[in-house]
Amino acid sequence: MSYLLDGLREGAALLLPPGREILQIIGLSLAVSGAATALAALAAIPAALVLALKEFRGKRLLVGLLNTAMAVPAVLIGLLVYGLVSRRGPLGALGLLFTPGAMVLAQALLAFPLITALALAALKGVARDARDLALSLGADRRQLAVAVIRQGRFAFLTAIIAGFSRVIGETGMTLMVGGNIKGQTRVLTTAISLETMKGNFEIGIALGIVLLLAALAINVALQLAQGK
Amino acid sequence: MMEIRAAGLGRRAGGRAILAGVDLEFSPGVVNVILGPNGAGKSTLLRLLGLLDRPGSGDIVYDGRWLSAMNGAERVALRRRCGFVFQAPLLLAASVEANLRFGARLRSLAVDDEALRRALAATGLAGKKKQEARLLSGGEKQRLQLARVMLLDPDLYLLDEPTANLDPLSVKNIEAAIARLAREGKTVILATHNLMQARLLAGRIVFLQAGRLVQAGSPSEVLSRPLSLDIAEFSAAENILSGTLARRDGRTVLDCGPLNIEVVSEREAGRAAAVIRPEDILVSLQPLDSSARNSFRGTVSAISDLGAVMALVVDCSGVAFTVFLTRISCAQMGLAAGGSVALTFKATAVHLLAID
Repeated sequence: MSYLLDGLREGAALLLPPGREILQIIGLSLAVSGAATALAALAAIPAALVLALKEFRGKRLLVGLLNTAMAVPAVLIGLLVYGLVSRRGPLGALGLLFTPGAMVLAQALLAFPLITALALAALKGVARDARDLALSLGADRRQLAVAVIRQGRFAFLTAIIAGFSRVIGETGMTLMVGGNIKGQTRVLTTAISLETMKGNFEIGIALGIVLLLAALAINVALQLAQGK
Repeated sequence: MMEIRAAGLGRRAGGRAILAGVDLEFSPGVVNVILGPNGAGKSTLLRLLGLLDRPGSGDIVYDGRWLSAMNGAERVALRRRCGFVFQAPLLLAASVEANLRFGARLRSLAVDDEALRRALAATGLAGKKKQEARLLSGGEKQRLQLARVMLLDPDLYLLDEPTANLDPLSVKNIEAAIARLAREGKTVILATHNLMQARLLAGRIVFLQAGRLVQAGSPSEVLSRPLSLDIAEFSAAENILSGTLARRDGRTVLDCGPLNIEVVSEREAGRAAAVIRPEDILVSLQPLDSSARNSFRGTVSAISDLGAVMALVVDCSGVAFTVFLTRISCAQMGLAAGGSVALTFKATAVHLLAID
C-alpha cells in the first residue's frame, strides 16, 4: 500500500511545478488529440446532420456500417494507418510515419464514427422537430441549417467531447503510428506505458493525474456549457 | 387565398404506402376538413401540402403552378405563403414573444408591437408575452402556434388537429378563429378525427381511409350519403343494417334476417348495408296508413335525453333502431321504456351501400 501512496506522493511532487519534459508531453497530447478531434468533427457533424435529416437509399446500411465502425478495435485502425503512411504505403511519400501527423490521422479515424454515431443518436430527437419548425415558418436552406445546428449544439458538443476523451486516452494505436519518440511523438498515454514499464512508477502516476485532471476539466466545462 | 389541387399524390415510408393516388381540390373561403380515423394519412397529406415532405409520387398545383417544376427559391417563397399548425406544438425554447417573432425574423420583416399585441389578444394569450413558451399549458402552446402563424398572414392555413387535447373553452376559441380565417377568404385545410368539429366547421369534407381518398364533397353529401361503410361507421351513423338484396313481390328489399326493408336500388342481389338517419324515421303509437313503404312495430328499449332532443332505441323483432324525437312529442305520446310503438320510413330514406 505504501508503494502506491509513495508513488502518488512522488507523482504529485513531479507536477509541482511540472518539468519541461512533462509540459511538452501534455502539450503534444492536447495538440494531437485536439487536432484529430477537430478534423473528425468537421466531417462527422455534417455527416450526422445528413443522416438525421435526409432520406435516401442505403441510409440504413450506412448507419449499420457506422455502428460497426465504432466497434473496430483501435489497434486495427493503427494497422491501417501504418500501412497507409509507411514508406511503401500510398501516403508514404508524405513521410508521416512516426510523426504527430500520423497520430492525428489515426486518432481522427478512430473518433469519426464515434462522434457521428453519438451526434446522430442525440439529433434524432431534436433535428426533425427543429427542421419542421423552421421550414413551416419559411426558413430557406441556410436558415434551416442554422436552426437545426443551433438546436443540436449540445448534442454536437457532447459527441465531440466523447470523441476527444476517447482519442486522448488511446495508447496502442498511437504507439504504433507515432513511435513514442521522446520530444517528438511522446504523449501522455504512451509515456505512462513506457515509464511504468521502465519502473518509473511515480512518473506514470504524475502523468495519470494529468490525464484525470484533463478528463475532469472537460466534463466540468461541458456541464457549464449546458447550463446545468 | 390559394388554389390547390393534388394530382395522384402519394408517399411511402418504411416500405408501405401511407398515402396513395390522392386526387383532390381544396376550395378557398371555406374550411376544408380532412376527416378520417387515426392512420388514415391526414397528417401526411397536410405535410405534403405544406412542403414539409416531398411527394413520393404525384404532384401538387398551387395557383396553377406545378410543385415539381419549382426551384428551391420558389419553394421557399411558396412555403412562406403557408401557415402550419402542428398537432404536437413545436415551439422554440424561448419566450412567447421570440416564438411569435421567429417567422418574421426568417423573412427579415419587422413586427410592430401593435400587431404582436393583437395576435396575443386574438388567441387569449394577452399578458403572456415575456413568459417562457415551454412553461405554457398545452392549450396555450397550441394557441401560441396559431398566433405565430396568424401574425404572418399566410394565404394557406394547414391545421393538424389543432384542438386535440384542449379544454372545451380553448376548443371554442380556436374553432371561432378558424371559421373567421375562412370567412376572410383564406384557404383553410383542417385535419381532424373529430366528427363534431367537422360538422361545425366544414364547408367541404375530404374523407381519407388507409391512405386513400374515399369521398370528397359537402358535409351533407359525405355524412348523410356516405359512399362507403367506413364513412358511415366513422360518422357514427345510428342505424346501419346489413343484409342481402332480393326481389320480393315486385319490390326490392334488403333482407336483414328478421326484417325486410324496402329500398330503392338498381341492384337486386348481393350484400348491402342500409343507413337510415334517425330524423327520417317517424314514431307513432299505432301503425300509420301512409305512402311510406316501411312500417314496423316495436318496443321502446331505452330513452336517453340528449338535451335538445330525446333518443329512443326501439327493438323491432330483434333489430334495434335509434330515432330522435322532440321532448314535447315524447311527453305527449307518453313514451316510456317497454312501451309499444310503430316506426315508419320511406324506401327513399334508406341509403344503401354495397359491401363486399
